[in-house]
Parts: sequence; C-alpha cells; structure tokens
Amino acid sequence: MKLGRRTVPYALLAPGAVWLVLFFVVPLYYMGKLSLESGTVGSLEFNWHWANYSDALSLYDTQFVRSFLYAGTATAIALVLAYPLAYVIAFKAGRWRNALLFAVIAPFFTTYLIRTLAWETILSDQSPVVEVLDTLGLAPGGHVLATGGAVIAGLTYNFLPFMILPIYASLERIDVRLIEAAKDLYASAAGAFWRVTLPLSAPGVVAGTLLTFIPASGDYVNAQFLGSAGNQMIGNVIQSLYLKQTNYPSAAALSFVLTALIMVAVLVYIRFAGSEALMGEEAR
Amino acid sequence: MGNSELKTRRLALILAALVATATLALGLAACGGGGVEGDGETAEAETVKLAGKPSGELTISNWPLYIDENTVSNFEKQSGVSVKYIEDVNDNAEFFGKMQPLLGQGESGGRSIFVVTDWMANKMHELGYLQGFDPAGLPSFEKNLRAELKSPSYDPERAFSAPWQSGMTGLTVRTDLAPDVHSICDLFDPQYKGKVEMLTEMRDTVPLVMKCMGVDPEGADEGEWLAAIDKIQGAVESGQIRRFTGNDYARDLTSGDAVAVIGWSGDAVQLQADNPDIEWRMPTEGCILWSDNMVIPVGAPNPTAAEAWIDYVYEPEVQADIAEYVNYVTPVEGVKEILAERDPELAKNQLIFPDESFTKNCTIQPTPTGEEEQKITAAFEAVLNG
Repeated sequence: MKLGRRTVPYALLAPGAVWLVLFFVVPLYYMGKLSLESGTVGSLEFNWHWANYSDALSLYDTQFVRSFLYAGTATAIALVLAYPLAYVIAFKAGRWRNALLFAVIAPFFTTYLIRTLAWETILSDQSPVVEVLDTLGLAPGGHVLATGGAVIAGLTYNFLPFMILPIYASLERIDVRLIEAAKDLYASAAGAFWRVTLPLSAPGVVAGTLLTFIPASGDYVNAQFLGSAGNQMIGNVIQSLYLKQTNYPSAAALSFVLTALIMVAVLVYIRFAGSEALMGEEAR
Repeated sequence: MGNSELKTRRLALILAALVATATLALGLAACGGGGVEGDGETAEAETVKLAGKPSGELTISNWPLYIDENTVSNFEKQSGVSVKYIEDVNDNAEFFGKMQPLLGQGESGGRSIFVVTDWMANKMHELGYLQGFDPAGLPSFEKNLRAELKSPSYDPERAFSAPWQSGMTGLTVRTDLAPDVHSICDLFDPQYKGKVEMLTEMRDTVPLVMKCMGVDPEGADEGEWLAAIDKIQGAVESGQIRRFTGNDYARDLTSGDAVAVIGWSGDAVQLQADNPDIEWRMPTEGCILWSDNMVIPVGAPNPTAAEAWIDYVYEPEVQADIAEYVNYVTPVEGVKEILAERDPELAKNQLIFPDESFTKNCTIQPTPTGEEEQKITAAFEAVLNG
C-alpha cells in the first residue's frame, strides 16, 4: 500500500502522540480526578472537592514561596558561574575544549543521589570549607549543613550543567566574523561583547535558566538531605503527602498547583525575554 | 478558501486520531484497574482456611538483611514448600503505597506474607487488608511467643500479626561529645543546640517526647500527641534540633555533626563496632518497643504454607540462627539459652536480649488511628516540612 502524501505526517506523528497520550494525558486525567476526591485511603470519594486546591495554597504557601526563592537564587548563581565558563570553553579553550566539556558532564556519571550526599561531607561541621566560612562569619550557628544555604548550594551544583551546555551551544554557534566586524567598526572589547556576543547568546541563556529553574522548583532531594525542618521545599511536601500521609487528593492538587505556577512563571519570563530569544533566529 | 478548508480537515483528522488513541488508552487503563479508591467499607476480616499439609509455593516480602542464609532452604527441605523470599520492604509507608491499590481490590500481588511494623499492621487490619490466623496451624507461635509481646493494644489476641523481630527506640549518643545525655529531656538542653537529631518516624519520636513531658504514650489522646509535637516544633524554631533523619543519623553521629539523637537499638550494635564512641542508651524515661510483624494479606495464595512458615520460625532452634545473624531483639522464648552455648557474648548483650528490668519503663509503640491519625500525622509532617 502506498501512503498518501497527506497521511505520511500523521503516521510519523502517531508514535509520539500515542506516547504523549499514554504517559502524559492519561495520568494527568487520573491525577485531576484524584485531586477532586475527599476522604481517607480506602474510602476516597469523587465529589468535586475543590477545597483540596484552596487548602493546598493556604497551607503550603510558605513552601511555595521558599521553593521559588531557592530555585531562583540557585538559577541566578548558576548563571553567574556558567556564563564565563561557557564563554571560555567556546572561545578560549582551544584544544582543551572537549576535555573541559567532558569535565562539565563528568559528574553525571554518578547518580543524582550520590552527588547530593557528597555535599553532606563537603559541608560537614568540621570540614575545611565550613571552618573558613565560620571564620569569615558566614556560617551563623556554626554550621552550614541543614540550612537553606546548603540547599541552594546543592541545587546550584546539581543543575549547573543544564545552564552551561545551552549557553555553550549558543556561544559556539556565533560567527566570530561578527565580533571581528564590530571591532573593525571601533567597538571596544566590552562593547562588542555587550552588543554582539551577549544578544546572540540570549537563546542559550533563556534555555539554560528554564532548564535550571523548572526542575529546581520541584526538587525535593536537596532539601531532604542538605536542609532542615525550616528549609523543606514544595516537592518535600508532595512526597510526604503521597508516601507518608497517604493523602493522595491533597498531593495531587498540590502537584497541579505547582505545575500551574511554574507554567505561569515560565510564560511571564518568555514574554519578558521574548520568544525569539528562546527559539533563536529560526522563530523570525 | 480551499486552503483553509484543507487546514480544517487536517485539524479534524488530528483531533480524531487523538481522541481514538486517548479512548484506547483509557480503555487499557480501565482494564488494568488502578486508582486508589476502595469500596468505602471496612471488609469483614476473613480468616485463614487451612488445607491439609503445607505444599506448593510461598512468596514472602521482608526487609533487606533481615534473615540468615540457611533458614529459607531449611524450611523448604523440612516442609516441601518452595519459597520465593523477596526483600522489597524498605519503608512501611512506601510499601503500603505500592501494595494499597492491589489490596484495595482484595489482591496481594502473589505474596502470602508481608513483614511490616506494628502501626502498619494495625492500619492494614483496619482497612480490612489482612486475614486472621487460624491458631490450629500455629502451635509453636502460641507456645513460644515471649510474654511481653502477647497482647499489643492493636492486636490483643495476636489474631493477625506475628512478630518477626523487635527493637527498641531510645538514645544514640557520642559518649565523647555528649557524655551527660541520659534522658529524652536532655536532648532539649541548650548546650547541645544544633547537635540534636530526631527520627522522621513519628511513632518513635513523638511518644518519646511525651515520656519526657510525663505523659504515658500508651492511650495518649489527640491533645497529648499535638502537645508533644508543639514541643518539638519549639525545639526546631530555637535551632535546638538540627534535622530529622532516618538511618542517616549514623553519618551525622560518625562525623560529630550530631552528638545525641533518637535512634534504634539494632543500628547501634553495628555502629559501635565501627566507632566505640557511639553508644545506645536506655533513656531514663524508658524506650519505645516496636516489632516488625508477619501478616497474611487478603487474597494471599497458599495461606496454609504461610502459617507453616510463621510457625517454623517460632521454633527456638530456627530462631537462634536468625537472631545470631540479625542482632535484633528476638520475639521467641528459649533462644537465649541456645545462643548462650553457641555465642555467650551475644547472649549477654542487653540490646539483643534485654531483660525485664532493662525495659521496665518501655512502651509498646503506640499509634493514633482513623481520622485522629491523619490529623496528627499532618501536624507532625508540618513540623518536618515547616
């Protein structure tokens, strides 16, 4: 049988569509239904219980604010660390480029959990790092582990490669002749960077911040191992509701609220940063 | 004009395809069952029906490293039952989360025995997920279960739960860094600020704090649970409590990040072997006694073999092998005498064979129930996730 020209795209689309429906739409439907149930395990009842949503917001607003604060701070720090690094790898590393790129990805050969647990040792009370911080007066209470600072440090470290790689990719694509042209036209080095390099690397920056901020907002591993009772994020609350309190409806509602809030934040950000920046020149 | 018509037709086609796949998927999901709602009634607990001599296959779910190497094969040889022994219980709540959708439909996932802690056994029983024992198949269990374990509040007749191993929750301290911590109340002493940790396991931490407050946790009401949780909250806010942990307090004690924690007796035997400065202490207020229990879930295949297994591990000679390997508190009478000959040091260890005077102030791990449980758990989790 010969496939018509018109059916080919749909045939190509089908595997992806089925995958998306099976593993995204269907679970989403069940989660949505679950989030509107009430009662305890064994006697859950679907009754359009919208209070799960209002409760989610009113009970856990602190953790929401904290999650976005930690994720935002971690994203900002990661950006400050990642940009110069990506710049060096793209333009100045020469034959070391591949080695440096490998070094960025190398930690990923260890599992996420082990990488996070390693920070327990790095930030342990008797570690040199903490002793230096303590001498500088930067460790109130004499410890760093089990504080918000440790959680942010963990998030920054764990998601840093997601910031570095997109920025590197967009810098590497830049035609150096454009920078040379800017200099030929009497732009200073800083001027050329500010008016040519930075705008051209904006897609990488936007992609990097999203790839860092979104997973960091929903993370619970860092807060669980590096934080204390006052530093738990919204992911920890959802985990606790699901697995420890078996309060499935509230956990489902909270997950939806988190998804919605992240989507709103991302839309606002893209609006502000411009979708062109995200998609690059192809969007034009 | 023609172009826009084409577009509409394409869109319609896409939508149709989507709806078709979605319907298919939903149908599949419905066939697969799932969902977490039950039928809303607590089922009348069924009882094991014994069927002649044990035979066939038996699947057991237990915690990791909780049995010696020979007991399973010895049982297979003696009984003719073929055993599939799986170590897939790591956390009561998570195991419950995994099994609950099946149990809600009266199935046990092919397993005939779970090993779960007291409160979880209680919870499963309340939900109608467990079968009652038939005492006819359990003569050794009836005879050899140690007296103090015979009537916990949630199962006074031991009608559906048989202890696998027991343990104590009390104080684990660094004797070099916190030599003076002897009571739960000492954990609130400001000189240990930021160096104290408690367990995320509510039913260990909160009852011990109640004991410090002079409240008997056995039969404590909701107000008393919440008052103890308030006290813990205060210690979190003042920075007294560094964090809440599971077994990972071991790391913090070893590094000295924590000097005194609420901890489990079984861990301490091993920790002490690595670091002689770590010691488990019986709090002056007493400890919490808990047991992990063998239970037979609803829909369990081959309950006859399940009872045969339970009865088998209650023979003192069999239990001695297990006790020698796992170093927890054995629930079986007569094991100490056997081990006294094999390994006198082990038989003298109070953490493995506590005598009555050692545990005189201890309480069997209490648990709130029903709606009270959800409220108290939520309050405690609010402290952990504050």
